[in-house]
Amino acid sequence: MLELIFFNVTNGLIIGAFYALMAIGLSLILNLSGVINFAHGGFLVIGGYLAYVLTPYLGFWGALLVAPFLTALIGFAVERLLIRRIYGRDPLYGLLLTFGLAFIIEDGTRQIWGANGLPVSVPPALMSALSSEFFFITGYRMFMVATVAVVVALLFVLLRYTRFGVRIRAGTLDLETVAALGVNVRALRSLNFAVGIFLAGLAGVLAGGQLGLEPTMGDGLLMPSFIAIIVGGVGSLTGTLIGGLLIGVASGLTAVVFPSASEAVIYIMMALVLLLRPRGLLGEEGMLT
Amino acid sequence: MSVLEVRNLSKRFGSLIAVRDISLTVERGELRAVIGPNGAGKTTFFNLVSGFFAPSAGSILFDGRDITGLPAHRRVALGMTRTFQITEIFPELTVFENVRVAAEAAAGYRLRVWLNRAEAAELHRRVEATLALTALSAKADRLVGELAHGDQRAAEIAMALALRPHLLLLDEPTAGMGDQETYEVTQLIRRLHKDAKLTIVLIEHDMRVVFHLADRITVLDQGGFLAEGTPQEIAASEAVQTAYLGQAA
Amino acid sequence: MTAERQKHLAVLVAIWGALVFAPYWMPLFGGYTALGSRVLVLGLGAMAVNFLLGFTGVLSFGHAAWFGLGAYACGLTLKFVASSTPLGLVAGTLVGGVAGGLLGALLVRRRGIYFAMVTIAFGQVFYYIAFQWLSVTGGDDGLRGFARQPLDFKLFRIDLLHNDVYFYYFVLVCFALAVGIMAFILRSPFGRTMIAIRENERRARFLGIQIELHIWIAFTLSCFFMAFAGALYALVNNFADPRMLHYSLSGDFIIMAVMGGMRTFWGPLLGAIVFVVLQDYLSSVTVNWMSFIGILIVLIVLFFPRGVLGLLRQRRTA
Repeated sequence: MLELIFFNVTNGLIIGAFYALMAIGLSLILNLSGVINFAHGGFLVIGGYLAYVLTPYLGFWGALLVAPFLTALIGFAVERLLIRRIYGRDPLYGLLLTFGLAFIIEDGTRQIWGANGLPVSVPPALMSALSSEFFFITGYRMFMVATVAVVVALLFVLLRYTRFGVRIRAGTLDLETVAALGVNVRALRSLNFAVGIFLAGLAGVLAGGQLGLEPTMGDGLLMPSFIAIIVGGVGSLTGTLIGGLLIGVASGLTAVVFPSASEAVIYIMMALVLLLRPRGLLGEEGMLT
Repeated sequence: MSVLEVRNLSKRFGSLIAVRDISLTVERGELRAVIGPNGAGKTTFFNLVSGFFAPSAGSILFDGRDITGLPAHRRVALGMTRTFQITEIFPELTVFENVRVAAEAAAGYRLRVWLNRAEAAELHRRVEATLALTALSAKADRLVGELAHGDQRAAEIAMALALRPHLLLLDEPTAGMGDQETYEVTQLIRRLHKDAKLTIVLIEHDMRVVFHLADRITVLDQGGFLAEGTPQEIAASEAVQTAYLGQAA
Repeated sequence: MTAERQKHLAVLVAIWGALVFAPYWMPLFGGYTALGSRVLVLGLGAMAVNFLLGFTGVLSFGHAAWFGLGAYACGLTLKFVASSTPLGLVAGTLVGGVAGGLLGALLVRRRGIYFAMVTIAFGQVFYYIAFQWLSVTGGDDGLRGFARQPLDFKLFRIDLLHNDVYFYYFVLVCFALAVGIMAFILRSPFGRTMIAIRENERRARFLGIQIELHIWIAFTLSCFFMAFAGALYALVNNFADPRMLHYSLSGDFIIMAVMGGMRTFWGPLLGAIVFVVLQDYLSSVTVNWMSFIGILIVLIVLFFPRGVLGLLRQRRTA
């Protein structure tokens, strides 16, 4: 029993790290651009397939490094061409625009790579079990969590200590003042959007290695990411991180006692948070409400 | 009996004290102006009185009743209403519709889906009367969003009036207006005060307006109380002079 | 004023005339009666979404949940409780509406984009339930094994199942009923207060309006309309499936409302006609219909945010 719980908590943490990676990207974009990016799952898919295309030339490691950057580049272009036009308008239009984009991306990937799943080969070194005792934790899963941890840590360092990061954080609180201080808000938002998409692309590469590729693979991750943001509190990236891990572990633990409710439990958590602490665990009062 | 009595009202935002220990009493039928340099806490004071947010300390009495903890809409129901520094209207509705929404709210019809003939007629009559009082009858069918600034201001005041308040809080009613518009709004407020016998508290920057209209003036400075008196007394007050001149210098 | 009234009346006559005679003129343009019924029901759904979005200014991106709940409740009633079409409709409307009202009470303090996000997430709860609860809902395969029943008026029976035209008129009567109630509410003091909240929430609050209560009632009403449309949709298809609860369908409804003109009463119906017919056509000629719909959505957002009727109205006032 104890082992089962340990397994599920670990598993939950792994899934949670994944949710967090997606949710932090969404959160960055939401905070600075005021757009809920429905196409985030689509960018995840793009990242995954780009890695698939690049692997024959660059190998797994090369693809892992390059694909997220290419995805971010596409994100940057999309922001410049489309997203930017709806800033300052009713939030409805941002939702619809990215909703439409998600359609186009899903259909596009299906057109190019087919509707059937594609397998992704991962270096054998990462596939072996960690030890005979913890056979369920493959090296790849540990590698995924480690990658997420490193990237998220780097992101927080970036936000904390670089000029770019400080501007993003300030812009989250009060964009007008940041603009008044002479910061190029347009460029800031484009770059920030690209960073958010970078995270989605990375999530796609990592997820591909674990589950294989499918044009709809992003769908299942979008809702948990929303919930991670709501639970953690809109406006707080740390909250989003905690929210992601929390719902991951919660659904892992529920899987022990009541497997069919492991999906439902994250919604119950969201309902509880909304009832007891409407602004989320670490949310700022009055933000975006 | 006093209409509005504020006792030792304070509001802090974090470490900033926006309003510090302000007390004042407004008598029935009085027109009180609240003035002070920028950052004196005038609008915060209004927001506290109207229930926009709760004070950190102190109490507010309206018609002798403690309303400190009441939400904004309950204060409106008791007969207190306000306008905003930046005109707050329903831009895509006509002048008539704007005022009708207010009149319906005042009559307690806002949750109703059916009005009988008598109710509808009475409502219509009241809206027309309010429009006449604010000199907007000719513009009743125009969209408020398309009107000139002064007329939008008048429409906002008309909405406040349709609530049939006995205390009207006006936050800088002449802000951003030219001389002609300022004159018209000033005349409107004067009519409300003299003819309709409304009790009015007015925040105003334009000293011509203040000295023309006010029975008494309260001066705030840096969140605190500075002086109170008749226009003549305030004009002669050295403390007030320094506060304003100090700011100008 | 009277000229405007006459014009208004003429438009109404044209709309209802087109709807009443649809079974006769649609085939001329390659339409078929069953498509007409579908358009009408989805149009009602879009109008229900717009009741909240266009007239209260509140964006719910989870309204498909109430639509789908209505569909499932109607289907389950017909399958397990009683073989009565009206009873199925009533059950569907009540279940979806009450569920929406209860959840709405939890959400109504949120605003703007946060409200949209929370409604999406809660809407998905019902999607997962329908997906997972195999024994009752049939899971991914959907709920089958029920069919609309004839209307029994003692003296005569109307066969809704096999006669598409009869069924179309049944749907039209239901549609007219719901739309009539909607119009009645919007012209009442309650409806005018909804519009006031849309126009300026702060001003409305200081007119003594209890914003949260009002939005909650509007939200709940909208859920009831939505559930009614969903229950009808179950009858249209003799089938209900989890996709009727999915947020993608919520997005479709919003697109219909925006495309037709969300500040207008009839816009969403027009949007639904265009959207459904286009989708029907595109999916019959190309496998890439999703891309076309996606591009259409992007174009509407960028270039026609006020929708067809909004554009017409703007041109008239300009």
